[in-house]
Amino acid sequence: MSRAAVLRTLVRRELGESLRSRWFVAYSGVFLLGALALMLFGLSGSEIYGYRGFAKVMAGLVHLALLFVPLMALFPATAAIAGEREIGSLEYLVSQPISFGELFWGKWLGVSLAVWLSLCLGFGLAGAVAVYAGTPWQLVALLLALTLLLAEAFVAVGLLCSALARSRARATSAGLIAWIIAIGLGTLGLMGLVIRWGLPRFVLSLWAFANPVEAFRLGVIASLDSDGSLLGPVGGGWVATLGTGGLITLCLAGLALWALLPTLLAWWRFRRPQAWSAL
Amino acid sequence: MAVMIEARGLGKRFGSRLVLDDLDFQVERGVRLALLGLNGAGKTTLLRCLMGVLSFEGAVQVGGVDVAAEGKSARGLIGYVPQRPPLFSMTLETMVEFFSELRGIASERIADRLEALDLPLSEMGDLALRELSGGMVQKALLAVALAADPPLLLLDEPTANLDPRARGEFMRALRSVGSDTTVLLASHRLDEVEMIADRVWILHEGRQVFDGTLDELRARAHADAWLWVRTEPERRDDARRAFIERAGEAAVVANGTHVAVQLPAAGRAEALSNLQVRGVPIDDFWVVGPSLEEIVQGFFDGEGER
Repeated sequence: MSRAAVLRTLVRRELGESLRSRWFVAYSGVFLLGALALMLFGLSGSEIYGYRGFAKVMAGLVHLALLFVPLMALFPATAAIAGEREIGSLEYLVSQPISFGELFWGKWLGVSLAVWLSLCLGFGLAGAVAVYAGTPWQLVALLLALTLLLAEAFVAVGLLCSALARSRARATSAGLIAWIIAIGLGTLGLMGLVIRWGLPRFVLSLWAFANPVEAFRLGVIASLDSDGSLLGPVGGGWVATLGTGGLITLCLAGLALWALLPTLLAWWRFRRPQAWSAL
Repeated sequence: MAVMIEARGLGKRFGSRLVLDDLDFQVERGVRLALLGLNGAGKTTLLRCLMGVLSFEGAVQVGGVDVAAEGKSARGLIGYVPQRPPLFSMTLETMVEFFSELRGIASERIADRLEALDLPLSEMGDLALRELSGGMVQKALLAVALAADPPLLLLDEPTANLDPRARGEFMRALRSVGSDTTVLLASHRLDEVEMIADRVWILHEGRQVFDGTLDELRARAHADAWLWVRTEPERRDDARRAFIERAGEAAVVANGTHVAVQLPAAGRAEALSNLQVRGVPIDDFWVVGPSLEEIVQGFFDGEGER
């Protein structure tokens, strides 16, 4: 059987499994409803349709995304390997005429597609309303790209937790801890640590890209706030050095690295002997 | 006869623990081979190496395919039923579609096998696998394994978690496997091995320590059958004492009105006549062969005495 056919079968199954997951459906539903509510009520309440109205609504949407997008990505990703290992289905799958690579990348693609579909639905509807109200489509596309990369970063973190943990519960716990650290150690949190321990300031600057949540936040705000006044000390510094376009590019690159590196680590772990076995 | 499996210097370590130790063997096409051994002997590891899902030292070919280099192709020649039924969160019908796509066969082939195994899709297709009994899931896995007509069937204690009825159904289904299919069955159950295998291996500490028929194994094993006697309740202790005098306390068990002694065939008639001499009435008697565990353990005891 061809690699493409095997991959298609595995992706379809993983996509279905993710879309049937209670948690995934719940988080996706709340995100979709929240995005629509923000868009409809925010735009109509602002009385200024168009770009500035959209910027205000986006501030709310960013907070919604920061809360829900990582969770939407983490739940199916942490279940993808550890969950299947726990119920013995991973061992059975690797005994089939498929390669380990097809199985792993099929899972990655299936989970990613499920999250992307859900986000495109939520963000797409909200974005369509915004474009209809006069917001440039390029801006909506950029924000969607940032959101998809944020989701992909947490798919990667979730897959890594799933490949390393012995059970689904541990994988999910590890993923949630990673999310809490990323949320809790925002710029302000890290600023406190820098002051408390006397760390050099470049640590603070680098943290913006070492933390996917922070990279997403900076990228979104830079997209909406061209003069950089809302970016804070770290983002403001980067805008002064690289310009708004440079900062957004850096944020996209930082998120892309987050999407890539944990996925490659998870793949490395998955290939090791008996990573698939519950024994 | 064509060779189905060929292993040269097959070895496997988990950390410092040697699980398979430099195995050299050939299994011809159509052979039904039972893998016996104590827990941890290396049976499951051997099956996993043959499927290429574990890395190993040495060289293994399945149907002429190099397992280490072309694991995916080798697994295409293998049908597999594990000990623990995988609890896929899918219905029986979805499972049929998924695995027929994965194995590149028409879904009707699995459906036909399921029908033959008394799991008709028309009636059970909508049931989630989690709703089926362990026996039903194992039969469904057997249907998947057989549907592609693989030349090699690997069964890793497939009935270990099944009740007697489900085990019987599974073994009956297994008897329908074509005579040109090579079967490797890891098992602890004598009835399964008697029903399926025409050759028996014993693995011990990663090495093959016996290769022969079950009868040859019985002959080499120091494991005698049990002679069971039913007598009157008030004479049970007399029977028990008589047996202990003959075979020792470790070889005698008693419950209710039954007493049993483990004896070689030559001593059984004498043991019965001895009871009659003592005036112990014998209402009934029968002989129960040693279990597979007793045969395997007896084999090791015998090897130790050599």
